[in-house]
Amino acid sequence: MRAIPPFSFPADLKIVEAETPAVSPIFPLIGIQHPLIDQEEGYTMTNLKLVALEQRERTIVTVGNVRFGDRFVIIAGPCSVESEEQMIQTAVAVKRAGADMLRGGAFKPRTSPYAFQGLGLQGLKILARARDATGLPFATEVLDTRDVSWVAEFADVIQIGARNMQNFSLLKEVGKLQKPVLLKRGMYSTLEEWLNCAEYVMNEGNPQVILCERGIRSFETYTRNTLDLSAVPAVKELSHLPVITDPTHGTGKVSLIEPMSLASVAAGADGVIVEVHRNPQEALSDKDQALTPEQFSEIVKKIRALESFGVGSRFFASQRWGRSSS
Amino acid sequence: MNLKEIRNKIDHLDIELIALLHQRMEYALQAGKHKNAIFDPSREKTILDTVSSKGSALLESSFIIEVYRSVIGNSKKLQEKRLKLVGFQGEHGAWSEIAIQEFGYEMVPIPCFEFGDVFAGVAKKELDFGIVPVENSLEGSVNEVNDLLIGTELNIVGENIVPIHHNLLALPGSDHREIRTVYSHPQALAQCRAFLQRNRLEPRPFYDTAGAARWLRHEGPRTAGVIASALAADIHGLEIVKENIEDHPDNATRFVLLSERMETNGANKCTIAFSTKDRVGALLDVLRIFAEYKINLTRIESRPDRMYPGTFGFLLDLQGSPDDPLVSEALTRVKEMSVKFKNLGFYRESQR
Repeated sequence: MRAIPPFSFPADLKIVEAETPAVSPIFPLIGIQHPLIDQEEGYTMTNLKLVALEQRERTIVTVGNVRFGDRFVIIAGPCSVESEEQMIQTAVAVKRAGADMLRGGAFKPRTSPYAFQGLGLQGLKILARARDATGLPFATEVLDTRDVSWVAEFADVIQIGARNMQNFSLLKEVGKLQKPVLLKRGMYSTLEEWLNCAEYVMNEGNPQVILCERGIRSFETYTRNTLDLSAVPAVKELSHLPVITDPTHGTGKVSLIEPMSLASVAAGADGVIVEVHRNPQEALSDKDQALTPEQFSEIVKKIRALESFGVGSRFFASQRWGRSSS
Repeated sequence: MNLKEIRNKIDHLDIELIALLHQRMEYALQAGKHKNAIFDPSREKTILDTVSSKGSALLESSFIIEVYRSVIGNSKKLQEKRLKLVGFQGEHGAWSEIAIQEFGYEMVPIPCFEFGDVFAGVAKKELDFGIVPVENSLEGSVNEVNDLLIGTELNIVGENIVPIHHNLLALPGSDHREIRTVYSHPQALAQCRAFLQRNRLEPRPFYDTAGAARWLRHEGPRTAGVIASALAADIHGLEIVKENIEDHPDNATRFVLLSERMETNGANKCTIAFSTKDRVGALLDVLRIFAEYKINLTRIESRPDRMYPGTFGFLLDLQGSPDDPLVSEALTRVKEMSVKFKNLGFYRESQR
């Protein structure tokens, strides 16, 4: 067994025998008990001082007329801002279909350095014009700490993408803003790691965090990722923060976006974010998973109908205590 | 140089040539204020002799004379039109120049270096009017202008409240993230204080917003930005990094139009300057008169008297018409109880 320097772990760490089944998914190889798992009580996540539900009221994040954590919020728009015409046409179309908010990438984290990297500052200006044209606020991703204050000058919601979920310097930087942060779940991250990232943002003084489940990597290859819908009610048990889902990246398949959007409503999510392109075949990125405005319009109708049954965010809003069922 | 580069150079020169011609016309108009007869044959001959002596293989004297006859001819035509010259502080693209456009007369904006030059130009009749900013909705009083107003013999003949939407400008092709210092008029820097602090930009005062834009275009480093109007960005070919960077969307500046003469047509507002005796309740007595006559005051500003530190002069704006006998009576009574009193003029209130 490896020797563990005691000062590097919390004082309540217990080193257990190697033959004891390791309960931690994080430290299985070194055979120690997960510091945050209490055998009796399950997860306690003692490091979550600001994010944990405990006895707090559920957080409502307000962006103009949009209220995350109150009414089901539908965010839609293209993966990337490609041109003023494309962005504004798409924005007008999604507004007509009933979207509450716009999305659009000005800075794109692409797998390949040769892929379209986004329009940068020009993209932010176009998004601002799309907001002026529709009256809908917009969310956009920031990749670089040097861009944070500039993106915040334009955007209504600052998105931290899945690939940057644990980019702690970026989290600290957006934590200094007075704008809401949409924190996507990293594709390899546990709920605890994800919530700790929200803790980073809040610890810097920014309480306006919206969580977004966007699918995790699994052995399944049919879908791009595996949308972990159980994360939604789980987050509601653990935290007071609003949580939305991203069925577009979560499945990577146009045909699955509608059922997973509706399932998100039923799971108690506070909203969805989906990619819509005026003409998906022309898209410079993510063309296989973008909805047409018509497809999007159908999904919105069904979401609104399902929402009226009283499931969704209002269900949890009335439940002050997450783990009341036990 | 390839063809594209050469053409770029030519385009750039053309813009500069036009700007220089414009400036020459401005001087011609200003010269027109100094002489009675527009046609001055000896001056024209001197100019033509001087410029034709600068000829070269590419510029024959005959060509130069032809160009200059045309330029001088146009200057004379402009002088004959008797256009109204309006002095403003700053350079073309300054907010004061934008404020002139609203008055609608055939007004030619003439750049002046300082506020004092605007007042002096109007007083010496080199300019028909002057326009100066008095107060701003975020930053309050423009101290220098208010001091000049208290001391001036000129009249206020109009006012204009202009919405001010500042822009952060940068050199084309530069990376906005590299900007560290931002140059502009202290008023503009102050109106964008929160924006500068949020983005960790260091404010550097400059004598004019548009002047800072010109400086950046010709001499500025790529790590500098400028706060100025979109017009200034256009004039100097700068990129707008961010529009509407003022700390509040209702940022507006009130400008007044100055003239040597009184013009009270349709006036419904008045500005007075006065100072009171140094005794208990002196200012209150003045204000009480306006209350008695039911005259609404829209602004009161106190400024230290720079000749006698410790004493103060007041500027007061009130709503009232010059034809209203009650207004005249109230002003007469205020004048009687003041140490110094001056009616700066009746004018029409801005609709904004």
